Amino acid sequence: MLLDVRDLHVEFRTRDGIAKAVNGVTYSVDAGETLAVLGESGSGKSVTAQAVMGILDMPPGRITGGEVLFQGRDLLKLKEEERRKVRGAEMAMIFQDALSALNPVLTVGDQLGEMFVVHRGMSKKDARARAVELMDRVRIPGAKERVRQYPHQFSGGMRQRIMIAMALALEPALIIADEPTTALDVTVQAQVMELLAELRRELNMGLILITHDLGVVADVADRIAVMYAGRIVESSPVHDIYKAPAHPYTRGLLDSIPRLDQKGQELYAIKGLPPSLLNIPPGCAFHPRCPMARDVCRTDVPPLYEVSEERGSACHFWRECLHG
Amino acid sequence: MAEPILEVRGLVKHYPLTTGVLFKKQVGSVKAVDGVDFTLHRGETLGIVGESGCGKSTVARMLVNLEKPTAGVIRYKGEDITQLTGKALKAVRRNIQMVFQDPYTSLNPRMTVGDIIGEPYEIHPEVAPKGDRGRRVQELLEVVGLNPEYINRYPHQFSGGQRQRIGIARGLALRPEIIVADEPVSALDVSVQAQVINLMERLQNEFDLSYIFIAHDLSIVRHISDRVGVMYLGRIMEIGTDEEIYDHPTHPYTQALLSAVPVPDPEAREHRERIILAGDVPSPTNIPSGCRFRTRCFKARERCALEVPALAVPAEFRLTTGPAAHDSACLFAEEKQVVPPEETR
Repeated sequence: MLLDVRDLHVEFRTRDGIAKAVNGVTYSVDAGETLAVLGESGSGKSVTAQAVMGILDMPPGRITGGEVLFQGRDLLKLKEEERRKVRGAEMAMIFQDALSALNPVLTVGDQLGEMFVVHRGMSKKDARARAVELMDRVRIPGAKERVRQYPHQFSGGMRQRIMIAMALALEPALIIADEPTTALDVTVQAQVMELLAELRRELNMGLILITHDLGVVADVADRIAVMYAGRIVESSPVHDIYKAPAHPYTRGLLDSIPRLDQKGQELYAIKGLPPSLLNIPPGCAFHPRCPMARDVCRTDVPPLYEVSEERGSACHFWRECLHG
Repeated sequence: MAEPILEVRGLVKHYPLTTGVLFKKQVGSVKAVDGVDFTLHRGETLGIVGESGCGKSTVARMLVNLEKPTAGVIRYKGEDITQLTGKALKAVRRNIQMVFQDPYTSLNPRMTVGDIIGEPYEIHPEVAPKGDRGRRVQELLEVVGLNPEYINRYPHQFSGGQRQRIGIARGLALRPEIIVADEPVSALDVSVQAQVINLMERLQNEFDLSYIFIAHDLSIVRHISDRVGVMYLGRIMEIGTDEEIYDHPTHPYTQALLSAVPVPDPEAREHRERIILAGDVPSPTNIPSGCRFRTRCFKARERCALEVPALAVPAEFRLTTGPAAHDSACLFAEEKQVVPPEETR
């Protein structure tokens, strides 16, 4: 197992109280595998990733429990210095908004080359040559000339390619991509996702894809973990979940998206709103919005029940959901 | 089909690019909208899709008179509204209202919800007499599914979906006939999107509204629209009923766009043909000659650089009556099914 996150808890101290962003998340990724973490805003999907990467702002954030085992080592126990060597070299992250993730006053060549200078102790000249290679690899036309340009001189899709190049620079074993194509247009999104999938295959990396888009998940993921209010409510191989979801939240999400191949009737809408993290409902956090909720859901937190060897659902009534 | 309520012909918006501080000199122009034609019929929803920078929002802003067109006409019930001023303009504006994309920036944070929704009545007092406004606003809140007691709350006390409902209530306040909605759900979470779309469909039936629905999400547009226009670099490339556009597209850009949309069905990924376009959209300051899509088109030939294809039923389909016979601005239009047929779920 490449990455094994176990029972991770993260909270944030805010003026209004303690926001419980992540409440016992467990997931794992193998080498060469793509895990999609799906959730709406505030579900804790990005915070989990930041805790894994070690880029969580602390304070106000605080990891209050759990383990992040990466190639067998618990990253949460490492000193910051050791952690820094892992970050970038062994695991790397691609952010949603490439324009704000890149430094506007440095050329892209300098930013790409920096990886080699800092982690590999290369000379500036060698690092520049490697930067050009990387830009070629992510198929930026005219890499040799464009290596001297600044981020604002690139289009959105090209900037996202530079982010990918930066993440790939040191050939990490794991890449975490946080909504990598959300800011891009569909035709460009298709280009970037294809590139990412291809490079992942080539380098046999593990990929965690954080997204809210069920379409993107269906396109590229092997497995999926659905998050709600800081917990994983369903985890499954990707094929099974679209055919028969085992959690009413997943079912609601699937039913509420309009489809390209169908002229729809009225859309199914999950009633109400996601809960405030300052005040997560007792029992199952989804119960106030759930069409299947019963008394037990208001009092008992459902564990992740085993649906099959590869599937889990945090619903007391997963059997009903699966077959109904 | 019902009678046309809004006709747009040859709509153009160019923004001048100038240099010099004291003596300004025009050095070019951003051709945001470069000749757009369409017709909206009473009670129908016309969806406009396109990627960022294609001019769809500029079209929306011209329809509600937030921008003056450089050329072209917008006829509302037969009358060109681009030349109107004063009272006549005010009267027309009452009937064409807008719902904005970002529910976080389109509501004034210092105004209560009651003031926001009631503000249109300040400008058009003939719609609601002063003493009656509070009651009207509460009615509107109820119509969009919010608690009428929230009238004295501020926007920050609401979630994104609720704010968009407030924006819709404001759009409805003057009882308009046309609502121009510019990406009304793209800032919302999936589970909330469906609520807002259902609301918009319900309101359309209830108040006999005509919608111009602008979005980049092709699935949502198909869901809500009766007809769909596909824009690229300031022009409509293809326009037709939802079935014509989605199931029988004849323009290569529409085909590429549709094939790029991720479909929430993992079974589809093996047997789906992807048309991946090369490169990025050209700059609207420097539009390619001939067909503006040719630089990214997988079918481009020499003729495409010389001839501007008109938006009309392509010659090869002119004598047929099938769904492929709809307006498509391509010299080499060809029907191609790119969305896999409905699978049984």
